[in-house]
Amino acid sequence: METNGTPVIETEGLTKTYKGVEALKSLSLRVSKNSIFGFLGPNGAGKTTTIKLLLGLARPTGGSGLVFGKDIEKESDEIRRRVGYLSQDPRYYEYMTARETLRFTARFFYEGPRAEIETRVGETLDLVGLADKADRPIKGFSGGERQRLGIAQAQVNYPDLLILDEPAASLDPQGRHDVLEVMERLRKHTTIFYSTHILGDVQRVSDTVAILNRGELVAQAPIEELLARGQTAAFTLTVQGDSASVEARLRSQPWVTGIEAISRNGTVSWQIRVSDPAMAESQLVPLALAGGGVTVSEFGRNHKNLEDVFLSIVEESNHER
Amino acid sequence: MSANAASLVPSRERGWQMGLGNMLAKENGAWWRTRRWWVQCLLWLIVLNGLMALAIKSVESEPEVALEPRASISGPLMESAAITGLIVFVAIAGIAVPIAAISMGQDSILGERHSGTAAWVLSKPISRPAFILAKLIALGLGFLATGVVLPGAIAYLEVTAFGGAQLSWLAFSGAMGLVFLNLLFYLTLALMLGALFHGRGPVLGITLGLLLGYQLILQLAPWLAAVMPWTLVGSAGQDGLPLAGLLALGQPLPTVAPIIATALWCVLFVAVAIWRFRREEF
Repeated sequence: METNGTPVIETEGLTKTYKGVEALKSLSLRVSKNSIFGFLGPNGAGKTTTIKLLLGLARPTGGSGLVFGKDIEKESDEIRRRVGYLSQDPRYYEYMTARETLRFTARFFYEGPRAEIETRVGETLDLVGLADKADRPIKGFSGGERQRLGIAQAQVNYPDLLILDEPAASLDPQGRHDVLEVMERLRKHTTIFYSTHILGDVQRVSDTVAILNRGELVAQAPIEELLARGQTAAFTLTVQGDSASVEARLRSQPWVTGIEAISRNGTVSWQIRVSDPAMAESQLVPLALAGGGVTVSEFGRNHKNLEDVFLSIVEESNHER
Repeated sequence: MSANAASLVPSRERGWQMGLGNMLAKENGAWWRTRRWWVQCLLWLIVLNGLMALAIKSVESEPEVALEPRASISGPLMESAAITGLIVFVAIAGIAVPIAAISMGQDSILGERHSGTAAWVLSKPISRPAFILAKLIALGLGFLATGVVLPGAIAYLEVTAFGGAQLSWLAFSGAMGLVFLNLLFYLTLALMLGALFHGRGPVLGITLGLLLGYQLILQLAPWLAAVMPWTLVGSAGQDGLPLAGLLALGQPLPTVAPIIATALWCVLFVAVAIWRFRREEF
């Protein structure tokens, strides 16, 4: 889905200091409406601090922030009316059942009608797959069930903004898959701002990403743009047949700067570093096939995935200190 | 049937009242929709009314002395089984019920802060004063019903039916009001300290110190009797009956200063608790 340019979250120089330690350093962030915004960073980078500042659970020591155009310090009450929030380590009243927890949450937002609230609670339980456990006390819930309940309570009020702090961290692969699916379903109606360190999930669902390191924003861009930064000048070429002559032809090209070969089961796979990627893109396969006697089974430009990009950005920022 | 946002009526609570109704319903539910209410009722019936019955029984063989409005307090009045029972009831209700209120009051803030439920609740549309007030109102009503009104009503029956005294129910209700005011002092103090401190040590130390060590404090600063709740339910030394006892017996009160001061302390404690909790970070 296309994101709308209207900003839902805007911060300018947002800063938070705890007992002399800067947990967040002058964060300037912009989250567009209907985006799924991945907020990445190593542990202790300031992700949860940022979320708490946005929700009014902590007060900034500098800078400012707006959510729906409302000041996070002065109009926090109005902001929280339109937000759903799942904390990193969600805690609920253990004696309550899942249904009671959702009913309790819903009644902060709605005063009635009672039947409609109950219907909404039931729908939300269905959405996260907890309908069969709805009337059991939470104290018997597993970590995954608690996380599902967390997602349910975060969106029971049809929030305009869903803030999720590590929503899939404690889930098994199936649970993670389900959570991502719920997020993708919800994006039609809401903006999702979520922090995580599971980068594969981010690559799958996010459209925009920000990377925080040691309290500082080190990158913020649409995910395609960020991944494009990770393009390398290296290619993979795998052939079957007379590999020695192919390698000789490749090595003779002035724009080939290095070749590493791996032989396996009659195939040879080369990692080819080049100085001119465009030339390599168009010429590598013709060069391989030029002498005949070989078939090309794999060819492509090597790309860094988000994890590689993330690690290189974080390392780069650590070196700059 | 499918709910939709348009068919749901948004909450209209705003400002400090935002979320109060829902939070209060939840807090009341913790009292009245769990076993807590009957456990508390049973506890106080056994402790307060049971001990009162024992006190009445222990002096019922003594000749009953007629109640005289201006009689010397500690002499003939104390010989009456009914009066002895009443004094025992007020004294125990003035200490035991506040201990329970202190325990639950401090836990209602500190416990939620430590467990993380406070942060979860406060991420919803609820004001911080509403969070504190819901706790105070629910705990106050819970203890009023189970620790004052119910045992108080039974105490009234014990005094009048078995102790042989004729007491005005209105005066007796006033006395129970003072018992409750004393309880409210410790409850609001525990809430305030729970908001001020992050550990249980200072909260329990200060509240229980004031509750259990008041005789010692009064020896050092007797003037505090006029501004603290101690004389509402306990003897301030010499031969004085507690103000609640005097009120129940229809006796004139020597002073109302402790009553006014205690009420003011309660208001101050709640105000400080709200002020501090507004500044709390989660």
